[in-house]
Amino acid sequence: MTRVDPAETFRQEAQELLEQLETTLLDLEQAPADRELVDAAFRALHTIKGSGAMFGFTAVAEFVHGFETAFDRVRKSGQPISADLVTLALQARDHVDGLINDPDADTAGGARILTALDAIAPQEGGASDASVAEPVSTAAADGVAGRWRVRFKLPADALAMGTNPLLRLDELAEIGPATISALTDDIPLLDELDPECCYIGWEVVIEATDPQAAIEDVFLFQGDDLDLEVSRIDEPAGEAAAVPGDAPEEKAAPRSEVVTATSAPAAKAALLRVPAERLDALMDQVGELVIAQTRLSELTADGAPPALQGIAEELERLIGGLRDTSMGIRMVPIGSLFGRFRRLVSDLSRSLGKEIEFVTSGEETELDKTVIERLADPLVHLIRNAVDHGLENPDARVAAGKPAAGTVRLAAIYSGAEVTVTLTDDGAGLNAARIRQKAEENGIISPDAEMRDEEIYPLIFAPGFSTAAEVTELSGRGVGMDVVKQTIEALRGTIDLTSEPGRGTTITLRLPLTLAIIDGMLVRVGDGRYSIPMAAVEECVELPASAVDRRGRDFLNIRGQIVPFLRLRELFRAEGETSDFQKVVVVSAGDARVGLAVDQILGNHQVVIKQLSRLHSGLNSFSGATILGDGSVSLILNVAQLIGMGAMKRTPAGIEEREAA
Amino acid sequence: MSKTILTIDDSPSIRQMVAMTLAAEGHQVIEAGNGSEGYAKASTNTVHAVVVDLNMPVMNGIEFIRKYRQHPSSKGVPIVLLTTESDEALKREARAAGATGWMVKPFNPTQLVSVIKKVTG
Amino acid sequence: MSDRLIFRLVDQMFAIEASCVCEILEVAPVTRVPGAPAYADGLVNVRGRIVPLTDLRVMFGCERRAADHDTRIIVVEITLDGEPLTVAIMADAVTAVSDIDERDFQPTPSVGMRWPREYVRAIVQRDDGFIIIPDLSTIFEAISRSADRSDIPEAA
Repeated sequence: MTRVDPAETFRQEAQELLEQLETTLLDLEQAPADRELVDAAFRALHTIKGSGAMFGFTAVAEFVHGFETAFDRVRKSGQPISADLVTLALQARDHVDGLINDPDADTAGGARILTALDAIAPQEGGASDASVAEPVSTAAADGVAGRWRVRFKLPADALAMGTNPLLRLDELAEIGPATISALTDDIPLLDELDPECCYIGWEVVIEATDPQAAIEDVFLFQGDDLDLEVSRIDEPAGEAAAVPGDAPEEKAAPRSEVVTATSAPAAKAALLRVPAERLDALMDQVGELVIAQTRLSELTADGAPPALQGIAEELERLIGGLRDTSMGIRMVPIGSLFGRFRRLVSDLSRSLGKEIEFVTSGEETELDKTVIERLADPLVHLIRNAVDHGLENPDARVAAGKPAAGTVRLAAIYSGAEVTVTLTDDGAGLNAARIRQKAEENGIISPDAEMRDEEIYPLIFAPGFSTAAEVTELSGRGVGMDVVKQTIEALRGTIDLTSEPGRGTTITLRLPLTLAIIDGMLVRVGDGRYSIPMAAVEECVELPASAVDRRGRDFLNIRGQIVPFLRLRELFRAEGETSDFQKVVVVSAGDARVGLAVDQILGNHQVVIKQLSRLHSGLNSFSGATILGDGSVSLILNVAQLIGMGAMKRTPAGIEEREAA
Repeated sequence: MSKTILTIDDSPSIRQMVAMTLAAEGHQVIEAGNGSEGYAKASTNTVHAVVVDLNMPVMNGIEFIRKYRQHPSSKGVPIVLLTTESDEALKREARAAGATGWMVKPFNPTQLVSVIKKVTG
Repeated sequence: MSDRLIFRLVDQMFAIEASCVCEILEVAPVTRVPGAPAYADGLVNVRGRIVPLTDLRVMFGCERRAADHDTRIIVVEITLDGEPLTVAIMADAVTAVSDIDERDFQPTPSVGMRWPREYVRAIVQRDDGFIIIPDLSTIFEAISRSADRSDIPEAA
């Protein structure tokens, strides 16, 4: 077994505690008088301090001690937590984060935070800070060996409480040559005797030099109810020095705090920490196994002996289970991200002077850890935009008859093999006229294009719609939205947007549950074989004879709906034989659909997704590649990107072309 | 002699340190993340000593001790309470609840070993 | 002093450090990547890893050639922008592994080279002609940059 460094464990633990603390502080902002939250914050601090000090994170422990002290004063005062205190506490939390990585990080900043915390926390009345520690023993040490008599009697319940008198006697005997005799006067008659009670006292005579401290150590854990008498017996009698049974063995504790633990996150099931790389390796190996199994199934499908076929089927079932379990291990609740956003919104609210109610739901919704990791930045961007550009100032809101506080909702919910994440604000909505103007200036649309508002809104996702330099003059959202869209699409997800002037904007992300293995449809285009994520496939239809060789008529009428389609043979400049019976695979993402004309549909298969190398990372038409049963490589189509291409056919230019044809 | 020692702490790093230290001394170590879990383990295993943190969610150290001391299997089992503060009132409360001893954080492995030796022999 | 793998592209011999060569494959099924530049438009399966296949002959302005029984795929691991990258290179033949001392390296002649000079680190004179020591990182940086910009032209 490899031993993990506790300091490393502490780092991880501290990270979790700091996240917890942040959540708690942000909750406190909403409910400043909630004592349970105050206690929870206090407890997080306390644990960081305690464990930090244990593993050499002295700077962390010291800073947190100051932080905790100020917080404790608030706790004891019973006053509600002020917004200023939350702000400071959040800063302090960030500082702790820094100190964990670098004990010398911004010492001056840390001192400033502590001073501010100290100033803001209610002052404690009285002199409770005065140390109550007393000198352990003032008995003059004469440095001469002597005979000492120790008489002691343990409280009646000492045995039950885990104190073993024999161990005490052994320890006393270690101090010096000792004579031990039992004091049996208090032993009751047999029928009154409780076998669990300790009735016996002892008298120990020790020969030692100044053994008082050592004797106190022996009874370190015994309290007021210990009956202890220590006296020097080779001196003239009468100077028995009673050692206070309650000798404080630590002098450095000026503060007292008895912590009540009330609120707490629900008890966690037994958890195991596993380095992420091991999960990735596991997933890779399961992927290889799935590929090998696919090959086996293909080989045994035709004409293998039934026994072999049976084994192949059994293997397929087992490996399917292994795959599901392995993917399950990688699932992480999206709530771990939401916590961070509360902080973001809180900070934005302060810096922009906007009141914001941030409402989240569906925290327990689980996604593959890679999806969660890569989702963080796009969501930060979207939330920032919603707060910065979406929500109006309080005055403007009131004037518009809305509550002064804007609402931003972030929700996650399962829908089939996908998770839908929606971000809704009740702000001013997108300004179609401005977006249009902007898009025209940047040459994204032609000035005479006829477009409805719903067609204009998505233009903010177009590359080159806007640049960072223009953010301040823009009321719309635009900066980096193309990057957001690309990131979501790289996750094989889609992004959609609806907006209503004066009412607000909703952005909808649809994300696959997992990135690693999906069901795919294998199609042939010329001599190439491509995989289409099954989750995106709506239906397959024959390519109508009228469309086979008519150019410019790349639209299908599917039950009265006009759906554009792409001829993959042309798009991919495919060589090799075509088919008289080309098929169109209709794929969708959100409300958008596109047909993909292929030569042949080969079947369904398990797709173990591999990322394309950096040499091919610019190819947005493919989201990855997979290895087929025969060992060859098949590219996976990026449905979102192809739908985007199909949508271009619907631009006015496309429609004109169609009408002219 | 090898003993079974239960460490109850919400801090994984401390549990780990306690477990590694005591395992190196030849003891068996059982871990629990809060008092409630600790009670479940203490009452279903033969435990020779308990090292319990004071500050924990769900059920804190003092609450654990009170509850565990009600259970017959706790008779004679020493319980060491971990605290960050050395406070007389707290110690009295801990003793009244049934703690056998305590240890103030931060402590090092040697201190832990000597305290365990002190209470278990 | 180090072992170098000597291979042939068209009629020119090249040598690369043997330590960066992961393996040499006999012809494997190549998947064409639509939209990628012709000198980097393939993918091959190398023991379960999907590796991009490059054709330096095309990059250096030669014709793409059909594979014959001498054709090999050399899988190398290089460092690109500080990160390791596994790539495969089409070779018309792999001829030898040989010790070539860096002290024998000669500067690239300014004339008489059909291979672009910026991709050549040095040449080594041999009885039967010269061997090019290619500058793999420059070559793959160039491929990476151009490939990054390429894509399927969007249907208008």
